[in-house]
Amino acid sequence: MATSSSQPVVSVENVRKEYELGGTVTALDGVDLTFEAGSYTAVMGPSGSGKSTLLNLIGALDTPTSGDVVVAGENVAALSEAARAALRGTRIGFIFQTFNLMPRLTAVENVTLPLMFDEWDRSDRRDRAEQLLADVGLGNRLDHLPQELSGGQRQRVAIARALAADPELILADEPTGNVDTETGNEIMSLLRDANNRGNAVLLVTHERRIAEHADRVVNVTDGVIERIEQVDHDTPVAGEQR
Amino acid sequence: MKVGDGVRIAGRSLTGHKLRSALTVVGIVIGIGTVIIFASFGTSVQTDVVGEFEETAASEILVVTGDIGLEPGEGDFGGTPMPGNLDSFALPGLTTHDIGELREIDGVDAVIPRGGIDSAAAVRYEGQAEPHDVIATSPSAFPESNFLNGSSFRQGESGSAVMTEQAAAAYDANISVGDTLTLEFSDEPETVTVAGIVTQARGGLDLFGGFNAEVYVPTDPYYQEYGDTARSAAQGVDQAAYRQATLVAEPDRVTGTQDRVERYFETESDAAAVLEDGVTVQSAADIVDGIESVLDDIIRLVSGIGLLALLVGAFGIANIMLVSVTERTKEIGIMKANGARNREVMGLFLAEAVLLGLAGAVVGIPLGLAVGFGASAYAEVGFTVPYGWVLVATLMGIATGVVSGLYPAWRAARVDPIDALRYE
Repeated sequence: MATSSSQPVVSVENVRKEYELGGTVTALDGVDLTFEAGSYTAVMGPSGSGKSTLLNLIGALDTPTSGDVVVAGENVAALSEAARAALRGTRIGFIFQTFNLMPRLTAVENVTLPLMFDEWDRSDRRDRAEQLLADVGLGNRLDHLPQELSGGQRQRVAIARALAADPELILADEPTGNVDTETGNEIMSLLRDANNRGNAVLLVTHERRIAEHADRVVNVTDGVIERIEQVDHDTPVAGEQR
Repeated sequence: MKVGDGVRIAGRSLTGHKLRSALTVVGIVIGIGTVIIFASFGTSVQTDVVGEFEETAASEILVVTGDIGLEPGEGDFGGTPMPGNLDSFALPGLTTHDIGELREIDGVDAVIPRGGIDSAAAVRYEGQAEPHDVIATSPSAFPESNFLNGSSFRQGESGSAVMTEQAAAAYDANISVGDTLTLEFSDEPETVTVAGIVTQARGGLDLFGGFNAEVYVPTDPYYQEYGDTARSAAQGVDQAAYRQATLVAEPDRVTGTQDRVERYFETESDAAAVLEDGVTVQSAADIVDGIESVLDDIIRLVSGIGLLALLVGAFGIANIMLVSVTERTKEIGIMKANGARNREVMGLFLAEAVLLGLAGAVVGIPLGLAVGFGASAYAEVGFTVPYGWVLVATLMGIATGVVSGLYPAWRAARVDPIDALRYE
């Protein structure tokens, strides 16, 4: 549940991640980072900077080579495969650049996917999904398949799905990368709404303009944190930084 | 994930590729259908044959000279003895004295001796000669219900005969009771009047429903005159001797009666003195067991051919499931990101494979039964649904799905969610 507490929702301590790709590649080289419950943070960096690796670690899709990643009070590396899956399903909501909806499931069924793996009753799932889809403006597209929806609509289904289990943390990986600017703005506003309701949001992007929707921007370059900025929404900094 | 949800999602994946799923199922349908066709037809034949045999022969005990089922002793016969071809290997050893003694044994209602007369004989009616077997037996061989027309001959009276309807049908002219037949024995022909026409006679080792064309005459006088003889140790003279006889036991005392008959042959019989290998005493139950066991083996063997087809179908499922895992790598990643455990992913793919196998069974079993029914109707045997085999076939369908889906499902479970989500 997205409750405010003194404990940070994510705590990354001195994390290193190395890959063996015909030689050791260091993707993250000692990263320390904390996300408070209900916070809104953007991780920004060029491709190859290590931001996707960071996202995978925080999303419990991967484990660090050294250091600790603690998500919702759980040390990811210490969890079993099944416990990590449960963590992903109930405590984390994923939003991807390519939407990643199940192609043969309807909008409602896609939204209920994490609830299905969490063994909710069918009618409870359906009620929850209908509510969430109405919230993102798709109340009239409940039983449509992804292929019957526009890109923006698909991403909104994905947002509804990410919110289904009301997780502490929403991970959004380039959520506006595959939609036009106007739709992108709608999506960013939905993420802000979610954050306002108490879900911590971690946004990963390479675009400064998108990153500045967050309250804090973490700049990552070459596997290390270069700089952390606070965003003052009253005086946008977008123009100056470009 | 709840089982119901898993099955529903798996079913959705399959219906998403209708043609592909259908073609995969065809392999299983052929396999299971083949098994059911052979099993249902085989079982029908078995039930029909055994039923007919039990109906007529439930209380019969068959006595045959020689030791059936063991290797033939040194003598004039080579090869393994086959029931139904007794005259060619058994020696006459059941003397008239033995037949009389058997009638006296407690529990024996009737003794029906049976002896072929002059195997080279032909039976002529109005100029047409047919090579029917002429067999000497007693009137007890013809229960009332076996008569289509007329009645039995009397023992001790010459000049009348009984024939099977198959024998009568062999002639162009219509034979009815009262007509005259000529039995063309090698030395001199005998003329007999048809006393009755029967569906079949008791006492033959006639395993397949008595469709033999045979003409029956009384043992007295015909077998006495033309049949084989053996020396009766008890009476010290040569007398007519048979190769087989059928005892009709009191229905609820068959086993005890069989024991007493066996004891007689072990101790005081002429047959024991004449025959090196003694006699074989078998009740209908023994014979039915034998037939059932032989037919069971045949059904199993032929149904095994269906298993080969099922094996081919299993490779079809494995193949399509592996393709499916590769194709749906991204979906696996999505499910894992949304909380699917490895074993749930494995379960989903396994459920798909099992559903394919089960669909094969659901289509293949009725199809096999329909063809089996058609074959039984064509062969004019009553149709029996082989419930045991239907169960076996259903389990085989499921097992095929499990076995062929196991490796693809395991591959699916092991997909790395990071790679999968990046997969296009």
